[in-house]
Amino acid sequence: MAKEPVRVLVTGAAGQIGYALVPMIARGIMLGADQPVILHMLDIPPAAEALNGVKMELIDAAFPLLKGVVATTDVVEGCAGVNIAVMVGGFPRKEGMERKDVMSKNVSIYKSQASALEKHAAANCKVLVVANPANTNALILKEFAPSIPEKNITCLTRLDHNRALGQISERLNVQVSDVKNAIIWGNHSSSQYPDVNHATVKTPAGEKPVRELVANDEWLNGEFIATVQQRGAAIIKARKLSSALSAASSACDHIRDWVLGTPEGTWVSMGVYSDGSYNVPAGLIYSFPVTCVSGEWKIVQGLHIDEFSRKKLDATAEELTEEKALAYSCIS
Amino acid sequence: MDSMEYLQLLQKILVVSVSLYLFSKIIKHMATFINVGKEPLRVLVTGAAGQIGYSLVPMIAKGMMLGQDQPIILHLLDIEPAMEALNGVKMELIDSAFPLLKGVVATTNAMEACEDVDIAIMVGGYPRKEGMERKDVMSENVSIYKDQAAALEMNAAPNCKILVVANPANTNALILKEFAPSIPEKDITCLTRLDHNRALGQISEKLNVDVSYVKNVILWGNHSSTQYPDVNHATVITDSGEKSVNELVADDQWLKTEFITTVQQRGAAIIKARKLSSAMSAASAACDHIRDWVLGTPKGTWVSMGVYSDGSYGIPSGLIYSFPVTCEKGEWSIVQGLKIDEFSREKMDATAKELIEEKAIAHSCLN
Repeated sequence: MAKEPVRVLVTGAAGQIGYALVPMIARGIMLGADQPVILHMLDIPPAAEALNGVKMELIDAAFPLLKGVVATTDVVEGCAGVNIAVMVGGFPRKEGMERKDVMSKNVSIYKSQASALEKHAAANCKVLVVANPANTNALILKEFAPSIPEKNITCLTRLDHNRALGQISERLNVQVSDVKNAIIWGNHSSSQYPDVNHATVKTPAGEKPVRELVANDEWLNGEFIATVQQRGAAIIKARKLSSALSAASSACDHIRDWVLGTPEGTWVSMGVYSDGSYNVPAGLIYSFPVTCVSGEWKIVQGLHIDEFSRKKLDATAEELTEEKALAYSCIS
Repeated sequence: MDSMEYLQLLQKILVVSVSLYLFSKIIKHMATFINVGKEPLRVLVTGAAGQIGYSLVPMIAKGMMLGQDQPIILHLLDIEPAMEALNGVKMELIDSAFPLLKGVVATTNAMEACEDVDIAIMVGGYPRKEGMERKDVMSENVSIYKDQAAALEMNAAPNCKILVVANPANTNALILKEFAPSIPEKDITCLTRLDHNRALGQISEKLNVDVSYVKNVILWGNHSSTQYPDVNHATVITDSGEKSVNELVADDQWLKTEFITTVQQRGAAIIKARKLSSAMSAASAACDHIRDWVLGTPKGTWVSMGVYSDGSYGIPSGLIYSFPVTCEKGEWSIVQGLKIDEFSREKMDATAKELIEEKAIAHSCLN
């Protein structure tokens, strides 16, 4: 008995991240090798021909799990009946641009896409916002789609989380699959706080704290943080284009863990609607450590926050509060 | 034997059986602590900083090429001007925290790139742009493949499996073969799986069925506009069993004309729409080609691969020509005994002729 297909929307599907993401979805990387999918790909009219080229390539790839492709510039058709929405569409950040530069363009996009999703998506549609400024775009979407449960609107900080794991694995010369439980707090921007105070590494002698193994607080509190925060810019400098491969892969990880659950003893980072946990202001989309069970995420509670971390958590919350105000001024 | 002795014997057998069973469970349980995973395989991708490479490397790193239990070390090779971009790709691979990816070597040095590689996917070459035909890029690519042949021959692991993707794929593979004489000819192949998959896709669209129900098309010949997509032996799984594509489509005219040209010219159609060569579908087809070669084709199914012709089906030997093949235990073999009608015969000969001409042009480029 095969599963019913799940409808997955990717906006901005004719772009770089979309091109990396759609084959991953069609190959079962996002939802599992036994889950058929129907892809909905949405982009703007100037990209219609390129979007059709992507649809042609999806057909040419003869993916067994791919049960249909809807390629459209009509947002209503794009959102119709979708169970998962990955919002990649927006203005990509080019070399030299900061996220705030692209904010006003994206705010109006997310306002209109909010109402389309609210009216046409399937009930309990899970939404992942990728396009920057991710947290604030997700907040705009939430505020203009009030009937979508707030728990269903998230933004991508898994990329930063995976980058943090990668940096630790390189530093310790261990396999990245043996590193876990880093946390990305806050905004998917240069004020994010990559926190390894609760991260561990699997060693032959059992699980050891990252701080103990690295044995270099200065590096962990300085260079490590800056490297992860600025990694996006470093990729742009090397490739002359924004990260697409790693962003797409992280989007798959985010959805997969959300839908299929996090492994026992492991948490991941997701940008979610703050409920005031850890004294982060409620009413922001803020990245927290979460576990996922039965299709629902839950903030990991009770982690000790030291003074250094407290300052960082607050700084990124402050930036998000400012972004929220800036976004609202764009709408007025 | 009286019943008492019989019972005692049964008891002994029972005790021994249960002990053996428990013992084997203990051994299996201990084995999980030792973590007897597979040894990593080294996979080389040339032209890794380009479009196809960028689509391909995450597929490899996610286990789509060799399976979810096969760890990988990626070797990425590109030319000096692309070094910074190549390093960006390496950084992104690290940033993706792929559990199966046990290492990344990013280099502009062909010898270093080829060292101990078990699988080599040769994507590097000049991409075809809007308006260009494959012959236009031939001379640039012939010298590239001559050099890379030497590096592979010297440094790759024994029995390294090679897949040439860069166009002109068949002739590049032939050049590679001629300049790496100690690499077994069976290990040098070129990609026609993309065309094969495109043919499956067109049939599935025409019949409005799932592409996974269509199988056994054949792509004969050159990965170019003379290729012959042949559905004479293709079938579709229906509610009432496997039916022939010819029967279900019931439109010989379409199958002999528009279907063929659509598949032949699909590459150009993608370029027209995207302003760039197919990358995603090429990468996906490369994964399919290697996966089926290494892990075997499903029962009752064949695929298309560009392989060194042994004269089967009246095709001149000494060409890299796409045939229907099955794969088992890491080896391909040409499906024999398929009936070839007159229409097909002409098509198969025409594409063979083009390959012979390409071979001559390639040799003239070398002189």
